[in-house]
Amino acid sequence: MSHANLEQNDDLITLNMGPHHPSTHGVLRLVIQTDGEIVRTCKPEIGYLHRSIEKIGENLEWYQFVPYTDRVDYVCSMNSNLAYALGVEALLNKKPETAVEIPLRAECIRVLFAELNRISSHLVSVGAAAMDMGAYTPFLHGVTQREFINDILEKTCGARLTYNYICIGGVMRDLHEGAEAEIKAFLDQLEPAMHSFNALISTNTIFRARFAGVGVIDREKAIAYGMVGPNLRGAGVDWDLRRDRPYGLYPKLKFEVPVGKAYAGSKGVLGDCYDRYIVRLLEIVESIKLCRQVLDMLPPPSEKADDPIGGYRVDVTKKLRTPPKGGVYTRVENPRGETGYYIVSDGTKMPYRMKIRTGSFTAMTIFETLVPGMMVSDVVAFIGSLDIVLPEVDR
Amino acid sequence: MNFGPVQQAIATSLSSWGFGAAAEPAALLILLLIPFGVAFSISGVAQYFERKVSAIVSRRYGPSTAGGEGVLRLVVNLAFFYLPAASRQSIEKTVANLPGVKQLLHFVRYFGLGQIVADGLKMFLKEDIVPRDADRFLFRGATYMVMLASFVALAALPISQNFYLTDFSVAAIYTTSVTGLVVVGLLIAGWGSNNKWSLLGGVRAVAQIVSYEIPVALCIAAVAMWCGTLSFQGMIAAQYQPGIFSFLGWNLFQSPFFFILSFVYFTAGMAECNRTPFDMAESESELVAGYGTEYSGLRWGLFFISEYTDMILVGGIYAALFLGGYQSPFFEEHIVALPPVWEALAHGAIFSIKFLAAIGVMMWLRWTLPRFRIDQVMRLAWVRLIPLSLICLFLLAASMLWFGQNGQVASVVYGRFVSSPVVRPEAWQTLSVWGATLAACVGLVVLAKKYGEPKPMPENVRKALVGGEG
Repeated sequence: MSHANLEQNDDLITLNMGPHHPSTHGVLRLVIQTDGEIVRTCKPEIGYLHRSIEKIGENLEWYQFVPYTDRVDYVCSMNSNLAYALGVEALLNKKPETAVEIPLRAECIRVLFAELNRISSHLVSVGAAAMDMGAYTPFLHGVTQREFINDILEKTCGARLTYNYICIGGVMRDLHEGAEAEIKAFLDQLEPAMHSFNALISTNTIFRARFAGVGVIDREKAIAYGMVGPNLRGAGVDWDLRRDRPYGLYPKLKFEVPVGKAYAGSKGVLGDCYDRYIVRLLEIVESIKLCRQVLDMLPPPSEKADDPIGGYRVDVTKKLRTPPKGGVYTRVENPRGETGYYIVSDGTKMPYRMKIRTGSFTAMTIFETLVPGMMVSDVVAFIGSLDIVLPEVDR
Repeated sequence: MNFGPVQQAIATSLSSWGFGAAAEPAALLILLLIPFGVAFSISGVAQYFERKVSAIVSRRYGPSTAGGEGVLRLVVNLAFFYLPAASRQSIEKTVANLPGVKQLLHFVRYFGLGQIVADGLKMFLKEDIVPRDADRFLFRGATYMVMLASFVALAALPISQNFYLTDFSVAAIYTTSVTGLVVVGLLIAGWGSNNKWSLLGGVRAVAQIVSYEIPVALCIAAVAMWCGTLSFQGMIAAQYQPGIFSFLGWNLFQSPFFFILSFVYFTAGMAECNRTPFDMAESESELVAGYGTEYSGLRWGLFFISEYTDMILVGGIYAALFLGGYQSPFFEEHIVALPPVWEALAHGAIFSIKFLAAIGVMMWLRWTLPRFRIDQVMRLAWVRLIPLSLICLFLLAASMLWFGQNGQVASVVYGRFVSSPVVRPEAWQTLSVWGATLAACVGLVVLAKKYGEPKPMPENVRKALVGGEG
């Protein structure tokens, strides 16, 4: 057992925070030793949710693996789908005879839904962070908005959590009738709703005091420990794959990349919990902008499914029987940071090797360094601000 | 100790039935049942309102549609257990469609009243688990300790002029010291559970509640100094003002320092009740459930009832100290002159409205605010509230010296304040103290804006987050 390795000290209490704890966001287990309220050592124990998804991927045909990517990160499964689909398409594009050209409409729908899913994922994240701080109401306001997104996605995909929608060669089916108007109406009411959410909790003095100066991940540490996504940008590193290594439709879109700037005022430090939290909220604002731009450039649907402009999917089943040999690594910007798919093909109908790199997993490494010295309440704040999702950690 | 006219009336009737020497203690026991009844029923009602308030604050429906059909089904199934299921269902259907029952069920469903029954039933029927390695004596004793501390304090609550349980010369000190015993119960609950989370919760409860006793005591000291008495009835008597605008006599409007102290008392009282944002001892997202982690069923429910009883106490004492107790804001002189029974009813209703409003504010804050950290809670007590209440106490004393006021109402016989000599400062004196304090506050705010903490975040970020109005 892990806590046998920890230094034995009679003055310290060994606390098992999890795997069944209200605010470890799943089955995370932290073995912490506390001196009263102050944490002296912390050791994260992971693996309670390991399903060996990567190994399963090596035993399934290419397109059969898409539903499993939903389960890698179920809070933003649309983005996980996109990462895998882009990976396989990059593999197919290695040889001209198997190259895939994604229809424009499919690209638009992909980005639109990825951004909607990003909004819903961040809503859960900031709401759960507030709930960890003891404020229940903001969480309910957050999931109320998420519910609208789930409704829209359900009408198109038929699912509310694990969408299995973005597939290799496009998307599963076209947008449902009236989707554009629904999304527009949703975005219009989301902005005032987010303003009231922020007035309720984000600018609250107690909340700011709880997050300011806590769990400071500075620039060097963030890069050294491989933090990604909002956790990296919260530390002041201006890095976003959608802008710096663009994929899909993103080069054509205009948006800003919010970066942490010690937003918590005089007590705030660059890279503290509050910065990461605010970066997520600002990303919601940017995602709203992105969705509006995509809706403006969305081409009308055409009769043919594989029409290069108005189609939604090209058939790749034949090409996938004999894909090119070799490995490919694609990464996309998920709500929880870079998600990378390393796919090795030996030219058969199944991948030879599949490796998934996720943001939450690398975020776990920083606990051992950063948590000692915090108070027990701060550990909860720290977990909440890192926005880890346990299935993504264990896969 | 004075036990009020009602206790004497009960004792007289009991002795006429042949109780003899046991009449007085028996009457006291009967009286003591009343706060239990009040606290139990109010806990149910308060829980119902807590759900409603949380639902309104969170803009959702909440369990507001829970109906009475389940209770009806349970009753029918128990009464006709020997019949087959189909006929029981048809009986249930018939009963539910009876003219009176149909409307009743609709009413219950509309207001969600079934939830109270369901919660109560659940609490009673759940298994009472004592962990294997727990200290059984302490584990069970903690519940009674917490209950005792909360309920005994209810005895001194001034419900009305003619009807109350007891009032004595140190009632205010009595209530604060007795509610302080809650902390012992919470600590032994934390220790006896043999659970590390419980222990942390118990230790937090001790640190927090003991610290917040001090501002509470200072607030009571200020009011006692002003009114010249520590008895609640005496304090309320000192706030009596004849005429239409009775509320002008309330302590809250008598001095600006009382105005500040009322906020101090409310904050500290909320901290003593262990309510969010001060629910350090329970803090379910950090300590699982704090001192209550190992408790289940009714034993946990008793902690819950004790928490609501504490809220009633804090609300009631807040009203007695600052809001004129059971007095009406207008036309108090007419209500005082009513016959005793009507007076007791009217004043009881007004008092209930006052403490229920205080409870409502506590619920509203609970569902709006996040929780402090333990060091922030302690800092708030020792660095903010205690110095602030000390300053207010000294300034109040200074203003009383200026007014030449030194506790003339101490000689008031309980309750009979209509003819008592209430010495008040002149209107211009009161107003000048108010003016000076307001000017000082404005000056402090200006200084804070100039030299205090800068704006929390850049203006464009702030605008993106909370919109134009800021």
